Amino acid sequence: MKRIKQCLALLLAVVMAFALTACGSAGGSDGDAADPDAELDTSAELEVWVWDSDQQDGIQEICDLFTEETGIAVKVNVVTWDNYWTLLEAGASGGDMADVFWMHVQEAEKYMSGGILLDLTPYIEADEDIDMSNYYEGAVETFTYEGAYYGIPKDHDINVILYNKAIFDEYGFDYPDETWTWDTFYEVASGITEASGGSVYGAAMNTTNDQDGWWNIVYAMGGSVISEDGTASTLDSDATKAAMEFVGKLVDDAFAPQSLVSENGTSGLFTNDLVAMICQGNYTLAGFTDYDGSENYATAVLPYYDANGNGQCDDGERVTIYNSLAWSASASTAHPNEAAALVLWLSSYEMQVKQAELGVTLAGYVGADSAYADVISAKGIDASAVQVMNDTATLISYPHSRYTTTWQNYYREKLVDAWLDTSLMSSVLDDCAASMNETLATE
Amino acid sequence: MTRKIKKKMSRAEKNEAMWGLIFVAPTMIGLIVLNFYPILYTIYQSFCKTGDFGRGNTFIGLTNYQSVLTSSEFWGSLLNTLKYAIIEVPFGIGIGLVLAVLLNRKIAFRGGYRTIFFLPMVAAPAAVAMVWKFLYNQQFGLLNNLFGLDVAWISDPSTAWISIGIIGVWSIVGYNMILFLSGLQEIPHDYYEAAEIDGASGIRQFFSITVPLLSPTTFFILQTRIIGALQIFDLIYMVMDNTNQALSSVQSVVYIFYKYTFTNGDRGYGATIVVCMLVIIMALTFLLQKSEKKWVFYG
Repeated sequence: MKRIKQCLALLLAVVMAFALTACGSAGGSDGDAADPDAELDTSAELEVWVWDSDQQDGIQEICDLFTEETGIAVKVNVVTWDNYWTLLEAGASGGDMADVFWMHVQEAEKYMSGGILLDLTPYIEADEDIDMSNYYEGAVETFTYEGAYYGIPKDHDINVILYNKAIFDEYGFDYPDETWTWDTFYEVASGITEASGGSVYGAAMNTTNDQDGWWNIVYAMGGSVISEDGTASTLDSDATKAAMEFVGKLVDDAFAPQSLVSENGTSGLFTNDLVAMICQGNYTLAGFTDYDGSENYATAVLPYYDANGNGQCDDGERVTIYNSLAWSASASTAHPNEAAALVLWLSSYEMQVKQAELGVTLAGYVGADSAYADVISAKGIDASAVQVMNDTATLISYPHSRYTTTWQNYYREKLVDAWLDTSLMSSVLDDCAASMNETLATE
Repeated sequence: MTRKIKKKMSRAEKNEAMWGLIFVAPTMIGLIVLNFYPILYTIYQSFCKTGDFGRGNTFIGLTNYQSVLTSSEFWGSLLNTLKYAIIEVPFGIGIGLVLAVLLNRKIAFRGGYRTIFFLPMVAAPAAVAMVWKFLYNQQFGLLNNLFGLDVAWISDPSTAWISIGIIGVWSIVGYNMILFLSGLQEIPHDYYEAAEIDGASGIRQFFSITVPLLSPTTFFILQTRIIGALQIFDLIYMVMDNTNQALSSVQSVVYIFYKYTFTNGDRGYGATIVVCMLVIIMALTFLLQKSEKKWVFYG
């Protein structure tokens, strides 16, 4: 009996050691070495991960052109946003992930510093067609780590006001246009809420609508979220607080109540004709054509903040916070040269133009997306405001740090208290800033 | 052990032992790789500040425990979890028992009723949660529109935990009912006949025969449901948006575990939360096992 127990113990130990090594042997590519001058292996097959199924067809089409050109097969797979980061991180930890994939500002620094992403710098330097100064500067900076490029901006987005003409007509207000300041927005939005006796609301904005919501107001009014060097929270700065007090006024007098917003989402309220205006990123517009009454939907530029009080919109007064995704490649891919070639292909001027022409997104390459707004408009919602914003507004890149998600989730939950009782706005912002500084201190 | 251990095994015995080991190996390996190793690794992580991508863990001793046990969020979520269990377990068991007794009789469409009550158990929890989310919706929900109400079922901190508890009870009643039915059918019919001759009423029979003889089943359900209720996550995650104003009065321990581990990527802190939960569940199970002798009647 004793011998059996010994055997069993030994077996246990062996299995455990095996389990440990199996989990410990992550990383380390068994394929070719990274070499920008190497001949491409045409028998390679690349797997691409994206999270937006609306973009899948267009991107597959662009990848098919790459296959035609190089003979390298590419398969574009969609992993929904809810699973994307869990699966990508599991893949990164286990050493088995897609060859080419989207990278997001919230996660970029973690992946870059973790050595998960392929350093694209030598490939960019070897390719005379790719010049990083052609891409949106803030986005390029987001995907640069210690002087090396780990991603090339694939797109950028533009926020606009999406409004329902029928509601404006019913309560006798003029449609939003480029003469609107944020004060006009307040007057009209609160006017609609009041005129309807609370059955319809002038606007709606959740605490989670930061990039596509209150950040745009905060930055237009001279506030910010994080200091320029990314080491301190500025949520408690005077300018930010003043802007958020203005947002609080909107919450009190114009916005749909938080319980409705959290249960239905701002777009749910909008498509049920309960809300006259919402702030939306350009990438959502095409989806609104599916709803009844979408013939009443139209877009307008975001209002401006008349900082100098001269009654007209000057440079820097109309602000939109933009977010860029980037194409990145895996550092542990078996085909680094081919993966990098695909990233460069997707980022090339021609393919960026193609991406806009297919109506996939606006471009990461500055000035390559003039076709986009018309393609979206052809689907049923006039998106000309996107082009106007793109040409004339001040684009500020998404504020971020290494653990953006952590401090962002904190204030998104905490600000609910201020949405419910706007007199708490200042103290809630102090609390959010303190928590954010704690997170920043660990970076 | 009073038997004397033999010094040496015979060839045949050795052979038998080897085959025995080979046959249990698949289960053992499965348990070790999928259960034991993750448990040990989780406990190890709870003492670490974990690095990204499973690398660079640094040992920090009890710091995580200190911050978890002093955080009001953890104790609040524990209270929320207990509140949920206090709704789900007694009502789930009570209603399940009544249904089982009713459906143990010969009534028309008995099979149909049993199927209907068991159906929620077959449906995916996420789908159940989505349907209830629509029912509860303040503006467009069926409940408010049917009864002409304007109740914020899931957005009012004072009612949201009850609303979530109701979904939990509704989901589990059928499962408890099936277990009770199998327990009921184990009770010999003679007892009821004898009681009837003695003139005992139906209610007297229920409390004097059914309830005590069913107690092993009740104990099993109680124990598994308490553990299950303390692990509540999916309902809350699906029904409550993270900007719901009632979230802080509903979020469970596993919910905040998920938030820290997967959303914020702080695995060490998340691991500490589940280790604390493990200790609490172990303590409760131990107390339950102790109480077993007092009220469980193995006939």
